[in-house]
Amino acid sequence: MTVNAHIHVHHLTRVEGHGNIVVNVNNGKVEKCEWQVPEAPRFFEAMVRGRHYSEVARITSRICGICSVGHTLASVKASETALGITVTPQTIKLRELLKHAENFDSHVLHVYMLVAPDLLGAPSVFPLVKTHGDVVARALRLKRAAHEWGSLIGGRTTHPTTPVPGGFASVPTHAELKALKEKLLSLAPDLTATLETVLALAPNIPAFDRKTEYIALSNDQNYGLYDGVVQSTLPDGMKQRYPVADYRKVTNEYVVPQSTAKYAKNKLPSYAAGALARFNNNFERLTPEAKGVAAKLGMKPVCGNPYLNTAAQVVEIVESFYDSLRIIDELLTTGVKHEELVKPTKFATGAGATEVPRGILFHEYTYDQDGMCTAGNCIIPTNQNHANIQGDFDKLVPELIAKNATEKQMELALEMLVRAYDPCISCSTHYLDVTFVR
Amino acid sequence: MRYLMGLGNYTAGDDAIGVRVIEYIAEHNLEDGFRAIDMGANSLNLVAYLDPDTTAILAIDATKMGEAPGEVAFFTPNEVQSHKELRGLSTHEGDLLTVLEIAKQAGYPIPPIVIMGIEPKSLQPSMDLTPELGKKIKHYSELAISHLKTMP
Repeated sequence: MTVNAHIHVHHLTRVEGHGNIVVNVNNGKVEKCEWQVPEAPRFFEAMVRGRHYSEVARITSRICGICSVGHTLASVKASETALGITVTPQTIKLRELLKHAENFDSHVLHVYMLVAPDLLGAPSVFPLVKTHGDVVARALRLKRAAHEWGSLIGGRTTHPTTPVPGGFASVPTHAELKALKEKLLSLAPDLTATLETVLALAPNIPAFDRKTEYIALSNDQNYGLYDGVVQSTLPDGMKQRYPVADYRKVTNEYVVPQSTAKYAKNKLPSYAAGALARFNNNFERLTPEAKGVAAKLGMKPVCGNPYLNTAAQVVEIVESFYDSLRIIDELLTTGVKHEELVKPTKFATGAGATEVPRGILFHEYTYDQDGMCTAGNCIIPTNQNHANIQGDFDKLVPELIAKNATEKQMELALEMLVRAYDPCISCSTHYLDVTFVR
Repeated sequence: MRYLMGLGNYTAGDDAIGVRVIEYIAEHNLEDGFRAIDMGANSLNLVAYLDPDTTAILAIDATKMGEAPGEVAFFTPNEVQSHKELRGLSTHEGDLLTVLEIAKQAGYPIPPIVIMGIEPKSLQPSMDLTPELGKKIKHYSELAISHLKTMP
């Protein structure tokens, strides 16, 4: 049994933003075990007040540099609900295609750049360039393709410009969509290689089980990345659905002393959002190809190992790939045409939700008769996961103590657990800090 | 193709100077013989532009150089030593120099790249630039475009 351990990981690396891990074990007893989030509030809900509905998504897309597509889509969907706008089938297809691009892009970044170093025993991706150059080159190839894919549909992948309330400001041409399909098809060998790499590393994924409540969007037509109602799946597989408008009854945000971020809970003391939550909620509606990958990875719902969120992301990479090919084929068959934006029919309050790489994302706005925003609310998935990460810590640390884990092993296990959730705690600065050597 | 790229976080004060300059160029239709790209906080996307068809990249980024706020310096990646200690390549930890180094080691063709560094005053959370930088957006845009034209 581990007798004493004192862990203080200040600003955990390889996550998006800042979080701390603090564990004190004395004489075999856990005296402190906390996942702390010290990020400062960013006040986006205040920033959108007084802005016209046409501007709101451009502001809220800046909440995140990785999930800016998701924030844009959740935002325009919320605005459309508030404004009484029903978009066309073509708009829905193009948004689904854009959503897939973001999910694919972000999951490739997380699996290859942030998690793979743990599984390969490297401190970061940098040494892997020399030892596993082909793997890093493949990751960059996949990321580049995802960037081009998202840029075509969204105008640009970071803070997209084309999705707006009522439709799309511009749409891709038939030839561009055909070229995108060819580009995607050329990635098939890289997808196969990705699965092989993950299967080879799978034995290094820790075995841990703590089933929880899983919350994700769900619908009866597809995997639900872009749209659906809110669905809860409990550890016994019991499911319940809620309208998106009732999202506050699901998220039930509250504050805790150890964190500046709000926590969330529904039926259990915590719930999980993200790839594993989607997998557990919507497994039946995965494409056959994605189901095949899940089988190879030995995954089936309800999967209670949070470390396997990364494996669920690999399943989703394949899901996004094949479902996008299907969408492109449909668009090529029906033809893509320029459509006028659908105009507002009312000015009221409305909520919208979409799945971003890290889980279910809610936006809600109220507009006055001039179309100006008077209130906003955004609930991001990482905040919904904080309580669940803490719940995992509370079960994992005693298990590690019982296994006589060293302080170093305990620290790595906790770091890997947090990283598995792919948390995106806030967006930080990216400036250069240099000295001239010329 | 020649590219003028802006990097930075729109909500972190002067860190956004690169994307603000790109925004100004786009709003004023100043693209002429080049494409203006808002890279936001996702510098890894740089790899999407590293191919034989790319003849020049000028990247605008907030850069701590020890100069007065708002001062500008043009430099190549080889002319500086980074002081950032990075353990990962998330969009939080990475920066342009890191991405370039990895891309180079992974075999990507590296076109002529010049960085237009602008000394920030504040990197605190804010949707606004400090006045020292904000009042010079037009000047920075003109400077960037004219420098890109001098690149081979």
